[in-house]
Amino acid sequence: MVSPADRNGYDVGLHLLDRQVIGADDRLVGKVDDVELVDQDGALVPTALLVGLPALLPRFGRRVGGGLARAHRLIREAAADQELPLVADFDLIESVGSDVRLSQPAPGLLHRMAHERAADPQRCRVGPLLGMPVRCAELPRRSKLLDLRMVGWPGGPGEHRVTALLVGPGRPGALFGYDRSSEPGPAVVAAVVAWLHRHARVVDLGPGVELDRDAGEVRIGPEASLAPLRG
Amino acid sequence: MSRTGRPAPLAAAAGFRGTVLTVALVGVVGVLAPGCGIVSRPDAAAWDQQAQRSLTDAASQVSTARLALETAAERRTWPAYATVVVAKAEEAAGTAEEDLARLQAPPQRADAAATVLDLLDEAVSLVAEARAHAVEGRYDDSALLDDLDRIAGELEQAAP
Amino acid sequence: MKRYFAVLLGILTAIGGFVDIGDLVTNAQVGARFGTSLVWVVLVGVVGICVFAEMSGRIAAVSHRATFDLVRERLGPRMGLLNLVGSMLVTLLTFIAEIGGVALALQLVGSVHHLLVVPFVAAAVWIVLWRAKFSAIENVLGLLGLALIAFAVALWQLGPDWGELAAGLSPAEKPAAEGWATYAFFAVALFGAAMTPYEVFFFSSGGVEERWTSKDIGVMRANVFIGFPLGGLLSVAIAACAATVFLPEGIAVETLGQVGLPVAVGLGKIGLAVVVLGFFAATFGAACETGLSTGYSLAQYFGFPWGKYVRPREAAGFHLILLIATVIAAGVLLTGVDPIMVTEVSVVFSAIALPLTYFPILVVANDPDYLGEHVNGPVANAIGVVYLVVITVAALAAIPLMVVTSMGQG
Repeated sequence: MVSPADRNGYDVGLHLLDRQVIGADDRLVGKVDDVELVDQDGALVPTALLVGLPALLPRFGRRVGGGLARAHRLIREAAADQELPLVADFDLIESVGSDVRLSQPAPGLLHRMAHERAADPQRCRVGPLLGMPVRCAELPRRSKLLDLRMVGWPGGPGEHRVTALLVGPGRPGALFGYDRSSEPGPAVVAAVVAWLHRHARVVDLGPGVELDRDAGEVRIGPEASLAPLRG
Repeated sequence: MSRTGRPAPLAAAAGFRGTVLTVALVGVVGVLAPGCGIVSRPDAAAWDQQAQRSLTDAASQVSTARLALETAAERRTWPAYATVVVAKAEEAAGTAEEDLARLQAPPQRADAAATVLDLLDEAVSLVAEARAHAVEGRYDDSALLDDLDRIAGELEQAAP
Repeated sequence: MKRYFAVLLGILTAIGGFVDIGDLVTNAQVGARFGTSLVWVVLVGVVGICVFAEMSGRIAAVSHRATFDLVRERLGPRMGLLNLVGSMLVTLLTFIAEIGGVALALQLVGSVHHLLVVPFVAAAVWIVLWRAKFSAIENVLGLLGLALIAFAVALWQLGPDWGELAAGLSPAEKPAAEGWATYAFFAVALFGAAMTPYEVFFFSSGGVEERWTSKDIGVMRANVFIGFPLGGLLSVAIAACAATVFLPEGIAVETLGQVGLPVAVGLGKIGLAVVVLGFFAATFGAACETGLSTGYSLAQYFGFPWGKYVRPREAAGFHLILLIATVIAAGVLLTGVDPIMVTEVSVVFSAIALPLTYFPILVVANDPDYLGEHVNGPVANAIGVVYLVVITVAALAAIPLMVVTSMGQG
């Protein structure tokens, strides 16, 4: 199996989100329900895995997810931390393959996110970013942010940050992994998915590309270069 | 901007999509509804269909009861098995009769209804007798077996 | 020597474990009403389940991940949840039908009303799932399920006109009394009974539980490609027995007792006793499999510990789900609903849920990230795509056919 370490880069939604997290003692911890990003001088750097319903429910979309998250809060009204997910900082990660292995045994490993951390404006989560509408003259109107392309990998040396955005019509995750350079079959399914996502593009973060978290949209100007998905 | 904050063309597109969905839903319901019986059908046709179902069903239960008694007589089943099979046949035969009796027979089927219901009634009582026999362990009552055979034939012939 | 014995055991348990209450009831119903004219659907279904079980087994062996584990990764949390809800509902429905089937089988032995037996059966299933080792459940119940071979023996003893049976295999030989809509409905039901979704969940989760590696792929393939088709032959034998005894008499099969009658006719009390033992083993085994599958799918979606290979204390959530599922199943059955009717509904809804399960398997089986060099070859992909189309057609046709034919009453 090809791990992100060999690949020198990965897509957060495709390769990290919803993966199984396993402790050093082979006990299952949970799924990667979301990934925390930190804004460091304009670069978005992933810092932690988030686990738990408070991280999972908001990923169901603005309306459904919001409704489910509200219901969850109501059910656990008395707990002060009912909105806060469990955190696994990236330094706990030992390897990322088809699952995410942590360097320590599972029991008692994850801690609940602190309120200050949740309120920190420099931090955000990948979940709310995916599905953000994209304003670009060259893309269909209903284009959204489909995935975030990273350089480096969790727990690895060298820089590790968001380098490019995958945008296009459709929902995040609907590409089923057919956007990578390796050509998985069956050919028929790949052809259908490719046709459905013929307008999807990769755009490098740089001049002309603005990811506005407050306004909840991505703006791509004419000076940005849009590359097709494959190759 | 509309109330939802989306630009007007998007709202119009959503409205169009909503209309298409509604039309499709109505179309699907319209096709399925006759099968569901939601839309009322001519009485005679509905009665005929139920009559056929009840007669075929009752014939099947009668034949089952007869087969169960015969195999029990040949000691090919144990008592509990035969009893359970015949008891369930009795239950199902009764349901078949009730399903038809519950339907109001249209005027043009009044005579047929009387004949059919009588036939079903006889079938149900014969199967009930078979069950009583099975419980007692009397499997070789040839008169009953002949009766069951006869009524099965009559039920099959009466099915339109 | 020990290795050959293990392979043989695997094949035998695959044969014995193939048939469940859905196969028993649907094949007997179809044989009694359509003769052998629907047997081709069983063959199509068996090939389908072989292809997809092999894929999910390969995925489990190489990536050490079970099928439902990967559904959320591939489809995202929203579609994954939809998939989870759909699959769990169908599996739960099947679980209810299987427990009902066990109760019906016991009723045939002791003439006790099946409702009285349901709580004990449910409790027994839960205790076995909680306490018994995985391999014990699989092996014991799988081997006992071989008792259903009595159907094949009974068919031989009944001495039907083999030429007539063979000629009846063509769809054109559909009895004139039955309409094509009913024929199509039972084709879909038979297809759903042969290709039940829970089978691949259970098979792949079991593979992960037993810690398969790529070295076990050969044995896994032997189990699937030899065991499942032979199990399919048992289904055909059930249909052929029903065709031989019931079709001439105009008897429609609606109870489990009727399913066993041809064996009584052909083999007498001893054959019947063996077959009822087979009923019990098949339904109890399938109850365990569907119960576990309910737990597997939910635990694998949320990522919390699952499985029988960890101590119950370490997979507490998983075992709690099993307990709740068992209580729900017992509760539903105690309302007095007919388990046979639940079975009929469950096979149709299995057919509807098939695309949810099989599409992700086909996609993952092609992904070198999970399978490395063991990805699908062109043959597996070709068959897989063809079956995806067949499955989708069956799934879309199921509800309209169900409504138009009033669940097959015609």
